[in-house]
Amino acid sequence: MMPLSSERYTVADMMAAQEFFHSRNWTDGLPIVPPTAEAVQACLDWAMLPPDHLVGVEPVRARQITAEKLAINSVMAGCLPMHFPLVVTAFTAMLQEPFLLHGATASTGGCAILTIINGPCRQELGMSGTFNALGSSDRATTVIGRSIRLALGNLLDVRPGDVDRSTLGHPGKISYCVAEDEEDSPWLPLAEERGVPKHASAVTVMSAGAPRQIMNEWTTDPAQILDTFVAEIKACMRHYSIYAGNYAVIFPPQLRTHFAAAGWSKADIRNYVYENAVVHRRDWADCGKGAVVGSRGDTEYRALSEPDDLLVVAAGGPAGGFGAVIPPWFGPKSKACTVAVGACVDCEI
Amino acid sequence: MSIEVLDPTYGGGAAAFALAPRLGTLKGKTVGVISNGKRGTRPYFAALERMLLKEGAARVVLHTKSNYSAPADAHIMAEVPEWDAAFVGIGD
Amino acid sequence: MTTKFVSAADLMARVLGAEEFRYVAIEHPISSASEAALSAEAARTVAEGRQILAG
Repeated sequence: MMPLSSERYTVADMMAAQEFFHSRNWTDGLPIVPPTAEAVQACLDWAMLPPDHLVGVEPVRARQITAEKLAINSVMAGCLPMHFPLVVTAFTAMLQEPFLLHGATASTGGCAILTIINGPCRQELGMSGTFNALGSSDRATTVIGRSIRLALGNLLDVRPGDVDRSTLGHPGKISYCVAEDEEDSPWLPLAEERGVPKHASAVTVMSAGAPRQIMNEWTTDPAQILDTFVAEIKACMRHYSIYAGNYAVIFPPQLRTHFAAAGWSKADIRNYVYENAVVHRRDWADCGKGAVVGSRGDTEYRALSEPDDLLVVAAGGPAGGFGAVIPPWFGPKSKACTVAVGACVDCEI
Repeated sequence: MSIEVLDPTYGGGAAAFALAPRLGTLKGKTVGVISNGKRGTRPYFAALERMLLKEGAARVVLHTKSNYSAPADAHIMAEVPEWDAAFVGIGD
Repeated sequence: MTTKFVSAADLMARVLGAEEFRYVAIEHPISSASEAALSAEAARTVAEGRQILAG
């Protein structure tokens, strides 16, 4: 068995471990699980990865991200060995060049890494895509999301005021992981739509702003429900960033049932949003940005470059006509990436 | 009972860095400028170009990145060896 | 870069093994600065840049 190569320190006890890690800026402020060699090796054994397995290379700074270092940060976050393969998969996706990880994590724009989980792993890991879907719904999604934050800080210096220049950021930076509710959905899972074989587990990552909650429980007409989502997207375009990119939209059961009854697929939703989420540059004048309208007031901007840029996700508790719009970090700069669990840097993913 | 823990931080050291030889003067030199293209950069870099030429630079080559959140495009980096000096920004 | 990114510059210099790397910091922000202010910053950039490049 290949030995672990990370430097080792001896601390007196659990409390001493907390202060040791906090004082070195190795945490997110929350308590950590001390990463012992045994715990780290258990993660690697579960994922069947040697410590020096190259998960990927951060392209801008050419930093190699190894399985051992991800396992250390995953243990710290509270991951059990069975959670670790999802962390590896998330980083495999994030390190792909179109994701632009450095830009997304350094930007003053303050996005976080939204991680959407599909496939049988959700049930194996006890993930819940229902109650509190976007707000720490279960142990697995919480610790997997937290692992990402810790690893970004410790392996890529993505800490507030260091590489991370976020002006505001948002709470998703702590953990931003949601499992799609595939069992109660009339639609294909997100990952399957994005090319992952049916019944495979997968992770989709997106550089994402905070969720913007909407409500429309006053109609059963899918187009009218979508008009509420579209209005929120258009507000985001006017108030935050007008440029097209990946948006995610979250539909809980109370809204999904109306789409199912009317026979609307995810493709129908994507096409509707693509056609209707359109603003003009002159709309900026209504929200304090008239200084940059100039002579280009008629310029049209779409939220989506193409319908497939909309990530449609079934998640949320059983009651409540709420939905969520999750905007991109900044237009098309970072592209959402989907990777099957078990794929590696050398695979055709 | 004591606990032995592993270091979670990046293990690789910093790459060897060597400062380029100093120019002594900008007179007669080719100076490259890489702008990130954000709002306000155009008048700033236009003024910079004027002033560098007034300083005596033989040529100022101004490029704007296609994505201000990503490194400079490959075609810009390919020109860098032809420059004597470069003015490049990392944040605004 | 601008003054608000000085710590980022220091960090990147350190992690790239160039802790003593010198740079010019201009006033933040650029996006809403006047042309006169930007011109003044450009003049300062040339003056300080000249010193850095001269050695």
